[in-house]
Amino acid sequence: MNKVRQIGFSYAFLFPSFILTLVLGIYPLGWAIRYMFYDYKGYGEAKFTGFYNFQRLLRDTQYWESVVNTFVYAGGKLIITIPLCLALAVILNQKLKGRNFLRAIYFMPTIISSAVMAVVFFIIFNSYNGILNQYLMKFNIISERIDWLGPKHAMMTTILIAVWGAVGNYMLLFLAGLQNIPNDVYESASLDGANKRQQFWYLTIPMLGPVLQIVIMLAIINSLKGYETIMVLTEGGPIGKTEVMYLYVYKLFFPTPSSGTVVDQQFGYGSAVGFTTAVIVGIITLLYHMLSKRLNKMQ
Amino acid sequence: MKTEAIPYTNKNMRRNPFREGGWGGRVLLWIFLLATALLILFPIVVTLFGSFMSNAELTTGGAILPSVWHFENFAEAWVQANFSRFTWNSLMLSGVTTIGTLIVASMAAYVVDRMNFPGKALFVAIQASTMFISIGAVVIRPQYELMIKLHLHTSLWGVILILISGHAYIFFILLSFLKGISRELDEAARIDGCSNAGIFWKIILPLLRPGLGVGALFTFCGAWNEYLRPLVFTMNTPELQTLTVGLSYLRYGASAAVQTHYMLAGACLSILPLLIVYMIANKSFMQMTAGSLKG
Repeated sequence: MNKVRQIGFSYAFLFPSFILTLVLGIYPLGWAIRYMFYDYKGYGEAKFTGFYNFQRLLRDTQYWESVVNTFVYAGGKLIITIPLCLALAVILNQKLKGRNFLRAIYFMPTIISSAVMAVVFFIIFNSYNGILNQYLMKFNIISERIDWLGPKHAMMTTILIAVWGAVGNYMLLFLAGLQNIPNDVYESASLDGANKRQQFWYLTIPMLGPVLQIVIMLAIINSLKGYETIMVLTEGGPIGKTEVMYLYVYKLFFPTPSSGTVVDQQFGYGSAVGFTTAVIVGIITLLYHMLSKRLNKMQ
Repeated sequence: MKTEAIPYTNKNMRRNPFREGGWGGRVLLWIFLLATALLILFPIVVTLFGSFMSNAELTTGGAILPSVWHFENFAEAWVQANFSRFTWNSLMLSGVTTIGTLIVASMAAYVVDRMNFPGKALFVAIQASTMFISIGAVVIRPQYELMIKLHLHTSLWGVILILISGHAYIFFILLSFLKGISRELDEAARIDGCSNAGIFWKIILPLLRPGLGVGALFTFCGAWNEYLRPLVFTMNTPELQTLTVGLSYLRYGASAAVQTHYMLAGACLSILPLLIVYMIANKSFMQMTAGSLKG
């Protein structure tokens, strides 16, 4: 009797969480899985077309360009972020005057809205009257305006902005990992005459290994997924140079007049693209996981 | 010959400022740290000071500090650019979302940690999977259609419900805090005749306060900074826009070029409240992120 009551009570308490997750979390996934086999524009009849959407996807050069862009974007972001954050974490893990203050500064971008900062970065980077060009010209570093958001530099600019937003988070994750390494390991190493550089390569990196792997995995997933900043800053432009996978998916569902060649909302096709993108992210995550496992075994 | 080698290296080390622990290394280290800090702070400083400049000074001046402090930027943005409305909407959205998330997540976390029932493992697995599977903006469409059916698409309640439904992360945070609360207390209360709900309300929730605090901080920030869902849900109802959405509309508005100072004043309104809380409680902010998915 008591047990039955406990189960009843449990279900009652779980109900709000369960129903919300089911209706707003799981059902939309099912919706997408259904409509990716349909030709459905959001109005009129939804027509079953089997795997047509996926055939179309294979021929959709705009999408595959956005996939390549995503890899460039994520790769660029990771190549700068991971070493930078590791360096900052190692430095700030030592006894250093003002280290808490510095940590607090580096972490600041993490708490600010990326959409809001994208507006600010637009004001900073826009070529015509952007603040950065004003400064650079005032101090005679450049003589002509640099088109930071133009076709040539837009990707680099978005990568730098992404790094700006990510530094604090990954620094902190690395710090958490570093704090788990017991201090006496370093003490005995320095007694044995190992210098700081040797300690870093032969102690810190191997002992940080598991954390490093998880953090890099998180970073990969996050950089493949992120598109909010780009959406506000460049809308994927100019001429699709900063279009990333999930931004393309967004545009198929919520096209805006300025969103380029995607003019018609296409829910069926959009679902197929969204699903494929999730699979791509999953495959990359899996590949990375396998690779890091193999590296582990080699050691 | 051997004895000569040692004094030689010693002398060399004393001369080289870039040897380990030398002043050269320290200087380089600090240049690196301060340069990084400067780059991180630059956009924030631009936002803060720029919001007091005139539009002309912002777009041509190349100054860091405003020559004249235009406090009226804020008053004008507040009234003319409708930021009073946006701020209120943001506050209401974030406040209700935070309360709702904490209630839903703490109830679920309580029974998952303290009770036994069939389907528990499945429930936890579903919660975990919702944190990692992402098909992007696709899900917003069915969510929107659902809200139309519930007649919630013309208010912020639809967005609030959707944001509360994403409570998996808070659920896991609270679960880890619950594991640290001794079970002896609820056993004692049970023997005294306290009901399950009574134990949750009178014993668990007060002891869970640190966890709820971290969860509240996290949820509030997330909702305050949320962009996509308020954007999509307020496409036909501009009076419901939040700060993030209202601001991004300024960026694409026809008069964007003459409204740079409003944009920065609006950006200030959006980031300042969080920055102020952050200055008071940055330790708690950092605590919650070790394990977060943002970035």
